[in-house]
Amino acid sequence: MSKDILVIGGGIGGIQSSLDLAEMGYKVHLVEQLPSIGGKMAQLDKTFPTNDCAI
Amino acid sequence: MLDVGRHPNIELRAFTEVDKVEGESGDFKVTLRKKARYVDEAKCTGCGACVEKCPTLVPDAFNEGLGNRKAIYSWFAQGIPSTHTIDPGYCRVFNGKKCGVCQKTCQAEAIDFEQKDQLLELDIGAIVVATGYDVFDPSRIPEYRYNELDNVVTAIEFERLLSASGPTSGHLDRPSDRAVIAEIEDLKKQVKKGSRLLANQEKKYEEKSPDFYAKYKAGEYPEDKERQKWAGQYAEQLRLQERLDALEKKAAGFKTAKKLAFIQCVGSRDHRFYPFCSGYCCMHSIKEAIIAHEHDPETQTTIYGMDIRAVGKGFEEYKVRGGNSSNISYQRARIAEINQDKEHNPVLVYEDTRARKIRREKFDLVVLATACAPNRGNKELAEKLGIDLSRYGFFQTSRVNPIDATRPGIFVCGCAHSPIDIPESVAQASSAAARAVQSLRTLEREEKQKEVGKAS
Ligand SMILES: Cc1cc2nc3c(=O)[nH]c(=O)nc-3n(C[C@H](O)[C@H](O)[C@H](O)COP(=O)(O)OP(=O)(O)OC[C@H]3O[C@@H](n4cnc5c(N)ncnc54)[C@H](O)[C@@H]3O)c2cc1C
Ligand code: SF4
Ligand code: SF4
Repeated sequence: MSKDILVIGGGIGGIQSSLDLAEMGYKVHLVEQLPSIGGKMAQLDKTFPTNDCAI
Repeated sequence: MLDVGRHPNIELRAFTEVDKVEGESGDFKVTLRKKARYVDEAKCTGCGACVEKCPTLVPDAFNEGLGNRKAIYSWFAQGIPSTHTIDPGYCRVFNGKKCGVCQKTCQAEAIDFEQKDQLLELDIGAIVVATGYDVFDPSRIPEYRYNELDNVVTAIEFERLLSASGPTSGHLDRPSDRAVIAEIEDLKKQVKKGSRLLANQEKKYEEKSPDFYAKYKAGEYPEDKERQKWAGQYAEQLRLQERLDALEKKAAGFKTAKKLAFIQCVGSRDHRFYPFCSGYCCMHSIKEAIIAHEHDPETQTTIYGMDIRAVGKGFEEYKVRGGNSSNISYQRARIAEINQDKEHNPVLVYEDTRARKIRREKFDLVVLATACAPNRGNKELAEKLGIDLSRYGFFQTSRVNPIDATRPGIFVCGCAHSPIDIPESVAQASSAAARAVQSLRTLEREEKQKEVGKAS
Protein backbone atom coordinates (compact mmCIF):
# COMPACT_ATOMS: atom_id res chain seq x y z
CA MET A 1 0.00 0.00 0.00
CA SER A 2 1.01 3.64 -0.47
CA LYS A 3 0.99 6.27 2.25
CA ASP A 4 1.13 9.23 -0.14
CA ILE A 5 -1.91 11.47 -0.32
CA LEU A 6 -3.35 13.24 -3.34
CA VAL A 7 -5.10 16.57 -2.77
CA ILE A 8 -7.12 17.77 -5.77
CA GLY A 9 -7.63 21.55 -5.86
CA GLY A 10 -5.32 24.27 -4.54
CA GLY A 11 -7.82 26.70 -3.01
CA ILE A 12 -7.89 27.45 0.70
CA GLY A 13 -9.40 23.98 1.38
CA GLY A 14 -6.73 22.06 -0.51
CA ILE A 15 -3.93 24.24 0.88
CA GLN A 16 -5.03 23.71 4.48
CA SER A 17 -5.43 19.94 4.02
CA SER A 18 -2.00 19.69 2.41
CA LEU A 19 -0.30 21.65 5.19
CA ASP A 20 -1.95 19.54 7.92
CA LEU A 21 -0.98 16.30 6.18
CA ALA A 22 2.56 17.46 5.51
CA GLU A 23 2.95 18.51 9.14
CA MET A 24 1.79 15.02 10.21
CA GLY A 25 4.66 13.63 8.16
CA TYR A 26 2.76 12.49 5.08
CA LYS A 27 3.91 13.04 1.54
CA VAL A 28 1.32 15.16 -0.30
CA HIS A 29 0.80 15.73 -4.01
CA LEU A 30 -1.23 18.95 -4.36
CA VAL A 31 -2.76 19.17 -7.82
CA GLU A 32 -4.07 22.50 -9.14
CA GLN A 33 -5.48 22.95 -12.65
CA LEU A 34 -4.60 26.68 -12.88
CA PRO A 35 -1.04 28.08 -13.21
CA SER A 36 -0.91 29.01 -9.47
CA ILE A 37 -2.62 27.93 -6.27
CA GLY A 38 -4.89 30.14 -4.15
CA GLY A 39 -8.33 29.51 -5.64
CA LYS A 40 -11.09 32.09 -5.18
CA MET A 41 -9.57 33.43 -1.98
CA ALA A 42 -6.63 34.85 -3.92
CA GLN A 43 -9.12 37.00 -5.86
CA LEU A 44 -10.68 38.50 -2.75
CA ASP A 45 -9.61 41.92 -1.52
CA LYS A 46 -10.19 41.26 2.17
CA THR A 47 -12.19 38.61 4.01
CA PHE A 48 -15.04 38.73 6.54
CA PRO A 49 -15.47 38.66 9.46
CA THR A 50 -12.09 40.18 10.33
CA ASN A 51 -11.42 42.13 7.09
CA ASP A 52 -7.92 40.68 6.95
CA CYS A 53 -6.15 40.72 3.61
CA ALA A 54 -6.89 37.51 1.74
CA ILE A 55 -3.29 36.69 0.83
CA MET B 1 0.40 29.93 0.53
CA LEU B 2 4.13 30.42 0.70
CA ASP B 3 4.39 27.56 3.20
CA VAL B 4 2.86 25.16 0.69
CA GLY B 5 5.47 26.03 -1.90
CA ARG B 6 8.27 25.49 0.59
CA HIS B 7 7.18 22.46 2.61
CA PRO B 8 9.49 19.49 1.98
CA ASN B 9 6.57 17.05 2.21
CA ILE B 10 4.44 18.84 -0.38
CA GLU B 11 4.89 18.24 -4.07
CA LEU B 12 3.16 21.24 -5.63
CA ARG B 13 1.76 20.23 -9.00
CA ALA B 14 0.21 23.32 -10.56
CA PHE B 15 -1.21 23.48 -14.10
CA THR B 16 -1.91 19.77 -13.70
CA GLU B 17 -5.08 17.69 -13.90
CA VAL B 18 -6.17 14.24 -12.86
CA ASP B 19 -6.29 12.02 -15.95
CA LYS B 20 -7.20 8.60 -14.57
CA VAL B 21 -7.74 6.90 -11.20
CA GLU B 22 -7.65 3.14 -10.74
CA GLY B 23 -7.41 0.82 -7.73
CA GLU B 24 -8.83 1.35 -4.29
CA SER B 25 -8.27 2.87 -0.88
CA GLY B 26 -4.64 2.45 0.18
CA ASP B 27 -3.68 1.46 -3.34
CA PHE B 28 -4.88 4.01 -5.89
CA LYS B 29 -3.00 4.26 -9.19
CA VAL B 30 -3.39 7.87 -10.26
CA THR B 31 -2.35 9.29 -13.63
CA LEU B 32 -1.78 13.05 -13.70
CA ARG B 33 -1.55 15.24 -16.78
CA LYS B 34 0.96 18.03 -16.41
CA LYS B 35 -0.23 20.51 -19.02
CA ALA B 36 2.26 22.19 -21.31
CA ARG B 37 3.06 25.75 -20.16
CA TYR B 38 5.57 26.21 -22.99
CA VAL B 39 7.85 27.49 -20.23
CA ASP B 40 10.37 25.24 -18.46
CA GLU B 41 9.44 25.16 -14.77
CA ALA B 42 12.98 24.30 -13.73
CA LYS B 43 14.44 27.31 -15.53
CA CYS B 44 11.80 30.08 -15.17
CA THR B 45 12.62 32.49 -12.35
CA GLY B 46 9.33 34.37 -12.62
CA CYS B 47 11.18 37.61 -13.41
CA GLY B 48 8.43 38.85 -15.77
CA ALA B 49 10.78 40.27 -18.42
CA CYS B 50 8.92 38.28 -21.10
CA VAL B 51 5.58 39.78 -20.08
CA GLU B 52 6.80 43.30 -20.65
CA LYS B 53 7.91 42.51 -24.19
CA CYS B 54 4.97 40.32 -25.28
CA PRO B 55 2.84 42.30 -27.78
CA THR B 56 -0.39 40.31 -27.35
CA LEU B 57 -3.15 41.49 -24.99
CA VAL B 58 -5.58 38.95 -23.52
CA PRO B 59 -8.56 39.49 -21.17
CA ASP B 60 -7.29 38.74 -17.67
CA ALA B 61 -9.31 35.88 -16.16
CA PHE B 62 -7.89 36.47 -12.68
CA ASN B 63 -9.37 39.99 -12.87
CA GLU B 64 -12.64 38.56 -14.20
CA GLY B 65 -11.93 40.11 -17.61
CA LEU B 66 -11.93 43.66 -16.16
CA GLY B 67 -8.33 44.17 -17.25
CA ASN B 68 -5.85 42.70 -19.69
CA ARG B 69 -2.83 40.46 -19.36
CA LYS B 70 -0.34 39.27 -21.97
CA ALA B 71 -0.27 35.97 -23.90
CA ILE B 72 2.63 34.96 -21.62
CA TYR B 73 1.54 35.53 -18.04
CA SER B 74 1.61 34.64 -14.39
CA TRP B 75 -1.84 33.87 -12.93
CA PHE B 76 -1.44 36.79 -10.51
CA ALA B 77 1.51 38.81 -9.25
CA GLN B 78 2.19 36.89 -6.01
CA GLY B 79 1.10 33.51 -7.49
CA ILE B 80 2.81 30.32 -6.36
CA PRO B 81 4.50 28.84 -8.26
CA SER B 82 5.61 31.98 -10.09
CA THR B 83 6.34 29.98 -13.25
CA HIS B 84 4.99 31.82 -16.26
CA THR B 85 2.68 30.24 -18.84
CA ILE B 86 2.03 30.85 -22.53
CA ASP B 87 -1.61 30.87 -23.62
CA PRO B 88 -1.57 29.09 -27.00
CA GLY B 89 -5.07 30.40 -27.77
CA TYR B 90 -3.63 33.91 -28.13
CA CYS B 91 0.18 33.62 -28.52
CA ARG B 92 1.24 34.78 -32.00
CA VAL B 93 3.57 31.81 -32.50
CA PHE B 94 0.69 29.35 -32.03
CA ASN B 95 -1.47 31.37 -34.41
CA GLY B 96 0.86 31.23 -37.39
CA LYS B 97 2.34 34.71 -36.92
CA LYS B 98 5.93 35.80 -36.49
CA CYS B 99 6.98 36.59 -32.94
CA GLY B 100 9.00 34.69 -30.31
CA VAL B 101 9.83 37.97 -28.56
CA CYS B 102 9.56 36.31 -25.14
CA GLN B 103 12.07 33.67 -26.19
CA LYS B 104 14.52 36.36 -27.27
CA THR B 105 13.97 38.24 -24.00
CA CYS B 106 14.25 35.33 -21.58
CA GLN B 107 17.75 35.21 -20.12
CA ALA B 108 17.03 31.88 -18.44
CA GLU B 109 16.21 30.25 -21.82
CA ALA B 110 13.02 28.92 -20.26
CA ILE B 111 10.69 29.32 -23.25
CA ASP B 112 9.97 26.05 -25.05
CA PHE B 113 7.36 26.25 -27.82
CA GLU B 114 7.73 22.49 -28.38
CA GLN B 115 6.79 21.48 -24.82
CA LYS B 116 4.14 18.72 -24.62
CA ASP B 117 1.71 17.58 -21.91
CA GLN B 118 3.37 15.02 -19.62
CA LEU B 119 1.70 12.02 -18.01
CA LEU B 120 2.79 11.04 -14.55
CA GLU B 121 1.83 7.93 -12.55
CA LEU B 122 1.58 7.98 -8.77
CA ASP B 123 0.84 5.40 -6.08
CA ILE B 124 -1.62 7.04 -3.72
CA GLY B 125 -3.12 5.87 -0.42
CA ALA B 126 -5.91 8.43 0.08
CA ILE B 127 -7.45 11.33 -1.83
CA VAL B 128 -8.80 14.70 -0.65
CA VAL B 129 -11.14 16.45 -3.09
CA ALA B 130 -11.02 20.26 -2.68
CA THR B 131 -12.13 21.49 -6.09
CA GLY B 132 -14.23 24.40 -4.83
CA TYR B 133 -17.05 26.10 -6.70
CA ASP B 134 -18.02 28.24 -9.68
CA VAL B 135 -19.63 31.66 -9.53
CA PHE B 136 -23.25 31.40 -10.74
CA ASP B 137 -23.71 32.98 -14.17
CA PRO B 138 -26.21 35.83 -13.57
CA SER B 139 -27.02 36.20 -17.26
CA ARG B 140 -29.31 33.22 -16.66
CA ILE B 141 -31.64 35.70 -14.92
CA PRO B 142 -32.78 37.88 -17.84
CA GLU B 143 -34.42 40.59 -15.70
CA TYR B 144 -31.04 41.61 -14.22
CA ARG B 145 -29.62 42.22 -17.73
CA TYR B 146 -26.09 41.49 -16.54
CA ASN B 147 -24.71 41.13 -20.08
CA GLU B 148 -26.34 44.33 -21.33
CA LEU B 149 -25.83 46.83 -18.50
CA ASP B 150 -22.22 47.90 -17.94
CA ASN B 151 -22.75 49.01 -14.37
CA VAL B 152 -24.24 45.77 -13.13
CA VAL B 153 -21.37 43.59 -11.88
CA THR B 154 -20.95 40.37 -9.91
CA ALA B 155 -19.60 40.35 -6.36
CA ILE B 156 -16.34 38.72 -7.48
CA GLU B 157 -15.87 41.43 -10.13
CA PHE B 158 -16.49 43.98 -7.40
CA GLU B 159 -13.74 42.34 -5.29
CA ARG B 160 -11.32 42.95 -8.17
CA LEU B 161 -12.46 46.60 -8.45
CA LEU B 162 -11.87 47.07 -4.71
CA SER B 163 -8.43 45.47 -4.82
CA ALA B 164 -5.37 47.74 -4.79
CA SER B 165 -3.69 45.23 -7.11
CA GLY B 166 -6.78 45.04 -9.35
CA PRO B 167 -7.52 46.66 -12.72
CA THR B 168 -8.55 50.02 -11.20
CA SER B 169 -5.96 50.05 -8.39
CA GLY B 170 -8.82 49.91 -5.90
CA HIS B 171 -10.83 52.86 -7.27
CA LEU B 172 -14.51 52.21 -7.90
CA ASP B 173 -14.41 53.40 -11.50
CA ARG B 174 -17.64 52.40 -13.21
CA PRO B 175 -17.33 49.93 -16.10
CA SER B 176 -19.25 52.30 -18.42
CA ASP B 177 -16.79 55.09 -17.59
CA ARG B 178 -13.83 52.74 -18.05
CA ALA B 179 -15.17 51.88 -21.51
CA VAL B 180 -15.20 55.59 -22.39
CA ILE B 181 -11.64 56.04 -21.05
CA ALA B 182 -10.52 53.05 -23.14
CA GLU B 183 -12.14 54.61 -26.22
CA ILE B 184 -10.36 57.91 -25.48
CA GLU B 185 -7.01 56.10 -25.33
CA ASP B 186 -7.78 54.38 -28.60
CA LEU B 187 -8.85 57.66 -30.26
CA LYS B 188 -5.68 59.37 -29.07
CA LYS B 189 -3.61 56.70 -30.82
CA GLN B 190 -5.61 57.14 -34.02
CA VAL B 191 -5.30 60.94 -33.88
CA LYS B 192 -1.55 60.61 -33.42
CA LYS B 193 -1.32 58.33 -36.45
CA GLY B 194 -3.52 60.76 -38.43
CA SER B 195 -1.26 63.68 -37.49
CA ARG B 196 1.70 61.80 -38.89
CA LEU B 197 -0.06 61.20 -42.24
CA LEU B 198 -1.10 64.85 -42.45
CA ALA B 199 2.41 66.04 -41.60
CA ASN B 200 3.75 64.06 -44.57
CA GLN B 201 1.21 65.65 -46.91
CA GLU B 202 1.94 69.12 -45.55
CA LYS B 203 5.62 68.60 -46.19
CA LYS B 204 4.98 67.34 -49.71
CA TYR B 205 2.76 70.30 -50.70
CA GLU B 206 4.34 72.87 -48.38
CA GLU B 207 0.94 73.90 -47.11
CA LYS B 208 -0.97 73.51 -43.83
CA SER B 209 -3.88 71.05 -43.93
CA PRO B 210 -6.64 73.53 -42.85
CA ASP B 211 -5.62 76.04 -45.54
CA PHE B 212 -5.51 73.34 -48.18
CA TYR B 213 -8.85 71.91 -47.02
CA ALA B 214 -10.58 75.30 -47.29
CA LYS B 215 -9.40 75.60 -50.90
CA TYR B 216 -10.34 72.00 -51.63
CA LYS B 217 -13.84 72.60 -50.28
CA ALA B 218 -14.11 75.67 -52.51
CA GLY B 219 -13.59 73.32 -55.45
CA GLU B 220 -10.01 74.18 -56.29
CA TYR B 221 -8.69 70.68 -57.08
CA PRO B 222 -11.53 68.86 -58.87
CA GLU B 223 -9.42 66.20 -60.69
CA ASP B 224 -6.46 65.83 -58.30
CA LYS B 225 -6.55 62.23 -56.93
CA GLU B 226 -3.61 62.75 -54.56
CA ARG B 227 -5.13 65.84 -53.00
CA GLN B 228 -8.48 64.06 -52.72
CA LYS B 229 -6.72 61.50 -50.51
CA TRP B 230 -5.26 64.29 -48.37
CA ALA B 231 -8.71 65.86 -48.00
CA GLY B 232 -10.10 62.49 -46.94
CA GLN B 233 -7.37 62.09 -44.34
CA TYR B 234 -8.02 65.57 -42.99
CA ALA B 235 -11.80 65.05 -42.82
CA GLU B 236 -11.23 61.81 -40.88
CA GLN B 237 -8.87 63.61 -38.51
CA LEU B 238 -11.51 66.27 -37.84
CA ARG B 239 -14.08 63.56 -37.12
CA LEU B 240 -11.75 61.74 -34.70
CA GLN B 241 -10.77 64.96 -32.94
CA GLU B 242 -14.40 65.97 -32.53
CA ARG B 243 -15.29 62.60 -31.00
CA LEU B 244 -12.20 62.77 -28.77
CA ASP B 245 -13.09 66.26 -27.52
CA ALA B 246 -16.67 65.22 -26.78
CA LEU B 247 -15.56 62.13 -24.86
CA GLU B 248 -12.89 64.02 -22.92
CA LYS B 249 -15.49 66.57 -21.89
CA LYS B 250 -17.75 63.76 -20.75
CA ALA B 251 -14.92 62.00 -18.90
CA ALA B 252 -14.06 65.18 -16.99
CA GLY B 253 -17.37 64.71 -15.16
CA PHE B 254 -16.78 61.06 -14.21
CA LYS B 255 -16.86 60.21 -10.52
CA THR B 256 -16.19 56.93 -8.76
CA ALA B 257 -19.28 54.93 -7.76
CA LYS B 258 -20.67 56.16 -4.45
CA LYS B 259 -24.26 55.01 -4.41
CA LEU B 260 -24.25 51.22 -4.40
CA ALA B 261 -26.94 48.55 -4.45
CA PHE B 262 -26.37 44.88 -3.69
CA ILE B 263 -28.91 42.28 -4.79
CA GLN B 264 -28.87 39.13 -2.67
CA CYS B 265 -29.69 35.52 -3.55
CA VAL B 266 -28.84 35.80 -7.25
CA GLY B 267 -29.40 32.17 -8.23
CA SER B 268 -29.71 31.02 -4.60
CA ARG B 269 -33.01 30.36 -2.80
CA ASP B 270 -34.57 30.49 -6.24
CA HIS B 271 -36.42 27.42 -7.46
CA ARG B 272 -35.53 28.19 -11.07
CA PHE B 273 -31.85 27.62 -10.20
CA TYR B 274 -30.60 26.56 -6.76
CA PRO B 275 -33.09 26.24 -3.92
CA PHE B 276 -30.31 26.26 -1.29
CA CYS B 277 -28.83 29.26 0.53
CA SER B 278 -25.22 29.84 -0.51
CA GLY B 279 -24.41 30.84 3.05
CA TYR B 280 -21.61 33.36 2.52
CA CYS B 281 -23.06 35.94 0.08
CA CYS B 282 -24.95 38.04 2.66
CA MET B 283 -21.68 38.38 4.51
CA HIS B 284 -19.55 39.24 1.50
CA SER B 285 -22.01 41.95 0.42
CA ILE B 286 -21.72 43.55 3.87
CA LYS B 287 -17.93 43.19 3.69
CA GLU B 288 -17.72 44.76 0.22
CA ALA B 289 -19.92 47.67 1.32
CA ILE B 290 -17.78 48.22 4.43
CA ILE B 291 -14.59 48.27 2.34
CA ALA B 292 -16.12 50.61 -0.26
CA HIS B 293 -17.03 52.94 2.61
CA GLU B 294 -13.47 52.71 3.96
CA HIS B 295 -12.21 53.79 0.52
CA ASP B 296 -14.65 56.70 0.33
CA PRO B 297 -16.73 57.77 3.36
CA GLU B 298 -19.36 59.29 1.03
CA THR B 299 -20.33 55.77 -0.09
CA GLN B 300 -23.95 54.83 0.56
CA THR B 301 -25.11 51.26 0.22
CA THR B 302 -28.47 49.53 0.16
CA ILE B 303 -28.55 45.74 0.39
CA TYR B 304 -31.74 44.28 -1.12
CA GLY B 305 -32.91 40.81 -0.20
CA MET B 306 -35.44 38.58 1.49
CA ASP B 307 -33.47 38.79 4.75
CA ILE B 308 -29.83 38.90 5.84
CA ARG B 309 -28.37 35.59 6.92
CA ALA B 310 -25.53 36.40 9.27
CA VAL B 311 -25.10 32.97 10.85
CA GLY B 312 -21.61 32.49 12.23
CA LYS B 313 -19.27 33.58 14.96
CA GLY B 314 -19.32 37.39 15.14
CA PHE B 315 -21.39 37.72 11.95
CA GLU B 316 -24.49 39.42 13.38
CA GLU B 317 -22.25 41.99 15.08
CA TYR B 318 -20.50 42.56 11.76
CA LYS B 319 -23.85 43.22 10.09
CA VAL B 320 -24.92 45.69 12.78
CA ARG B 321 -21.55 47.44 12.65
CA GLY B 322 -21.91 47.82 8.87
CA GLY B 323 -25.28 49.49 9.39
CA ASN B 324 -24.09 51.78 12.17
CA SER B 325 -20.69 52.83 10.88
CA SER B 326 -20.57 52.21 7.13
CA ASN B 327 -23.75 53.81 5.75
CA ILE B 328 -25.36 50.47 4.91
CA SER B 329 -29.13 50.04 4.94
CA TYR B 330 -30.85 46.71 4.60
CA GLN B 331 -34.01 46.71 2.49
CA ARG B 332 -36.39 43.76 2.43
CA ALA B 333 -37.40 43.51 -1.20
CA ARG B 334 -38.10 41.49 -4.33
CA ILE B 335 -36.31 42.86 -7.40
CA ALA B 336 -38.48 42.96 -10.52
CA GLU B 337 -35.88 44.22 -12.98
CA ILE B 338 -32.90 46.50 -13.59
CA ASN B 339 -33.10 49.27 -16.18
CA GLN B 340 -30.72 52.11 -16.91
CA ASP B 341 -30.98 55.82 -17.63
CA LYS B 342 -29.08 57.82 -20.27
CA GLU B 343 -26.02 58.25 -18.01
CA HIS B 344 -25.70 54.46 -17.67
CA ASN B 345 -27.01 54.61 -14.10
CA PRO B 346 -28.73 51.34 -13.24
CA VAL B 347 -32.31 51.83 -12.02
CA LEU B 348 -33.77 49.15 -9.74
CA VAL B 349 -37.46 48.39 -9.95
CA TYR B 350 -38.48 46.45 -6.85
CA GLU B 351 -41.23 45.61 -4.45
CA ASP B 352 -40.66 46.91 -0.95
CA THR B 353 -42.07 43.78 0.68
CA ARG B 354 -42.65 45.46 4.04
CA ALA B 355 -44.59 48.44 2.70
CA ARG B 356 -45.99 46.34 -0.19
CA LYS B 357 -45.15 49.12 -2.62
CA ILE B 358 -43.45 49.08 -6.00
CA ARG B 359 -40.48 51.46 -6.02
CA ARG B 360 -37.72 52.64 -8.32
CA GLU B 361 -34.26 53.74 -7.26
CA LYS B 362 -31.26 54.92 -9.24
CA PHE B 363 -27.69 53.83 -8.39
CA ASP B 364 -24.14 54.35 -9.63
CA LEU B 365 -23.40 50.63 -9.54
CA VAL B 366 -25.33 47.43 -8.80
CA VAL B 367 -23.55 44.34 -7.40
CA LEU B 368 -25.07 40.87 -7.79
CA ALA B 369 -24.46 38.46 -4.90
CA THR B 370 -24.23 35.36 -7.07
CA ALA B 371 -24.83 31.82 -5.85
CA CYS B 372 -22.16 29.25 -5.06
CA ALA B 373 -22.62 26.94 -8.05
CA PRO B 374 -21.04 23.48 -8.13
CA ASN B 375 -17.79 23.38 -10.10
CA ARG B 376 -18.68 22.42 -13.68
CA GLY B 377 -15.80 19.92 -13.70
CA ASN B 378 -17.28 17.93 -10.78
CA LYS B 379 -19.15 15.46 -12.97
CA GLU B 380 -16.10 14.39 -14.94
CA LEU B 381 -13.94 14.16 -11.81
CA ALA B 382 -16.62 12.16 -9.95
CA GLU B 383 -16.65 9.65 -12.82
CA LYS B 384 -12.86 9.31 -12.73
CA LEU B 385 -12.89 8.84 -8.95
CA GLY B 386 -15.93 6.54 -8.98
CA ILE B 387 -17.83 8.67 -6.46
CA ASP B 388 -21.33 10.21 -6.49
CA LEU B 389 -22.54 13.78 -6.71
CA SER B 390 -25.41 15.25 -4.73
CA ARG B 391 -28.53 16.29 -6.64
CA TYR B 392 -27.20 19.83 -7.03
CA GLY B 393 -23.79 18.68 -8.30
CA PHE B 394 -21.58 18.96 -5.21
CA PHE B 395 -19.79 15.79 -4.02
CA GLN B 396 -22.06 13.45 -2.08
CA THR B 397 -20.87 12.73 1.45
CA SER B 398 -21.90 10.27 4.12
CA ARG B 399 -24.52 11.29 6.68
CA VAL B 400 -22.57 9.64 9.46
CA ASN B 401 -19.10 10.81 8.44
CA PRO B 402 -19.82 14.10 6.69
CA ILE B 403 -16.34 14.41 5.17
CA ASP B 404 -16.32 10.96 3.53
CA ALA B 405 -17.16 10.60 -0.17
CA THR B 406 -19.16 7.60 -1.35
CA ARG B 407 -16.03 5.42 -1.72
CA PRO B 408 -13.49 4.49 0.96
CA GLY B 409 -10.25 6.48 0.93
CA ILE B 410 -11.75 9.64 -0.66
CA PHE B 411 -12.62 12.72 1.40
CA VAL B 412 -14.16 16.09 0.53
CA CYS B 413 -13.73 19.60 1.95
CA GLY B 414 -14.52 23.23 1.17
CA CYS B 415 -17.01 24.29 -1.48
CA ALA B 416 -16.57 20.95 -3.27
CA HIS B 417 -18.59 19.68 -0.30
CA SER B 418 -21.22 22.44 -0.14
CA PRO B 419 -21.38 26.25 -0.14
CA ILE B 420 -19.31 27.33 2.88
CA ASP B 421 -17.11 30.26 3.81
CA ILE B 422 -13.35 30.30 4.44
CA PRO B 423 -13.32 29.57 8.20
CA GLU B 424 -15.58 26.57 7.67
CA SER B 425 -13.56 25.41 4.64
CA VAL B 426 -10.41 25.52 6.75
CA ALA B 427 -12.03 23.52 9.55
CA GLN B 428 -13.30 20.93 7.05
CA ALA B 429 -9.91 20.77 5.38
CA SER B 430 -8.30 19.81 8.68
CA SER B 431 -11.02 17.20 9.20
CA ALA B 432 -10.40 15.79 5.73
CA ALA B 433 -6.68 15.57 6.47
CA ALA B 434 -7.39 13.75 9.75
CA ARG B 435 -9.84 11.35 8.06
CA ALA B 436 -7.32 10.58 5.32
CA VAL B 437 -4.66 9.74 7.91
CA GLN B 438 -7.14 7.62 9.89
CA SER B 439 -8.02 5.64 6.79
CA LEU B 440 -4.34 4.93 6.08
CA ARG B 441 -3.64 3.93 9.68
CA THR B 442 -6.60 1.56 9.71
CA LEU B 443 -5.36 -0.09 6.51
CA GLU B 444 -1.86 -0.37 7.94
CA ARG B 445 -3.18 -2.00 11.10
CA GLU B 446 -5.26 -4.44 9.11
CA GLU B 447 -2.26 -5.33 6.96
CA LYS B 448 -0.10 -5.95 10.04
CA GLN B 449 -2.79 -8.10 11.61
CA LYS B 450 -2.98 -10.16 8.43
CA GLU B 451 0.77 -10.71 8.52
CA VAL B 452 0.68 -11.66 12.19
CA GLY B 453 -2.16 -14.05 11.36
CA LYS B 454 -0.09 -15.64 8.57
CA ALA B 455 2.98 -16.01 10.79
CA SER B 456 1.17 -17.73 13.67
C1 LIG C 1 -17.37 37.47 -4.09
C2 LIG C 1 -17.03 36.52 -3.00
C3 LIG C 1 -16.48 37.00 -1.82
C4 LIG C 1 -16.20 36.13 -0.77
N1 LIG C 1 -15.71 36.65 0.39
C5 LIG C 1 -15.47 35.83 1.43
C6 LIG C 1 -14.97 36.33 2.67
O1 LIG C 1 -14.74 37.55 2.79
N2 LIG C 1 -14.78 35.50 3.71
C7 LIG C 1 -15.05 34.14 3.61
O2 LIG C 1 -14.87 33.43 4.58
N3 LIG C 1 -15.49 33.61 2.43
C8 LIG C 1 -15.71 34.41 1.34
N4 LIG C 1 -16.15 33.88 0.16
C9 LIG C 1 -16.28 32.42 0.06
C10 LIG C 1 -14.91 31.76 -0.31
O3 LIG C 1 -14.57 32.16 -1.62
C11 LIG C 1 -14.98 30.24 -0.23
O4 LIG C 1 -15.42 29.86 1.04
C12 LIG C 1 -13.60 29.59 -0.42
O5 LIG C 1 -12.93 30.16 -1.51
C13 LIG C 1 -13.73 28.09 -0.64
O6 LIG C 1 -12.47 27.54 -0.85
P1 LIG C 1 -12.25 26.17 -1.64
O7 LIG C 1 -10.81 25.84 -1.48
O8 LIG C 1 -13.24 25.18 -1.23
O9 LIG C 1 -12.60 26.50 -3.16
P2 LIG C 1 -11.91 27.42 -4.29
O10 LIG C 1 -11.43 28.69 -3.74
O11 LIG C 1 -12.91 27.45 -5.41
O12 LIG C 1 -10.63 26.60 -4.76
C14 LIG C 1 -10.74 25.43 -5.54
C15 LIG C 1 -9.44 25.23 -6.30
O13 LIG C 1 -9.46 23.96 -6.95
C16 LIG C 1 -9.04 24.10 -8.29
N5 LIG C 1 -9.69 23.03 -9.07
C17 LIG C 1 -11.00 22.90 -9.37
N6 LIG C 1 -11.23 21.78 -10.06
C18 LIG C 1 -10.02 21.15 -10.20
C19 LIG C 1 -9.61 19.94 -10.82
N7 LIG C 1 -10.50 19.12 -11.41
N8 LIG C 1 -8.31 19.61 -10.77
C20 LIG C 1 -7.39 20.45 -10.17
N9 LIG C 1 -7.73 21.60 -9.56
C21 LIG C 1 -9.04 21.94 -9.57
C22 LIG C 1 -9.50 25.48 -8.68
O14 LIG C 1 -8.77 25.97 -9.79
C23 LIG C 1 -9.24 26.27 -7.39
O15 LIG C 1 -7.93 26.76 -7.35
C24 LIG C 1 -16.45 34.73 -0.91
C25 LIG C 1 -16.98 34.25 -2.10
C26 LIG C 1 -17.28 35.13 -3.14
C27 LIG C 1 -17.90 34.61 -4.41
S1 SF4 D 1 9.93 32.83 -18.92
FE1 SF4 D 1 11.97 33.78 -18.72
S2 SF4 D 1 11.58 35.99 -18.91
FE2 SF4 D 1 9.60 35.02 -18.51
S3 SF4 D 1 9.35 35.10 -16.27
FE3 SF4 D 1 10.30 33.12 -16.73
S4 SF4 D 1 12.50 33.51 -16.55
FE4 SF4 D 1 11.54 35.53 -16.70
S1 SF4 E 1 -26.26 33.91 2.16
FE1 SF4 E 1 -27.75 35.52 1.90
S2 SF4 E 1 -27.60 36.08 -0.28
FE2 SF4 E 1 -26.59 34.13 -0.07
S3 SF4 E 1 -28.18 32.66 -0.59
FE3 SF4 E 1 -28.17 32.86 1.65
S4 SF4 E 1 -29.67 34.42 2.05
FE4 SF4 E 1 -29.21 34.56 -0.14
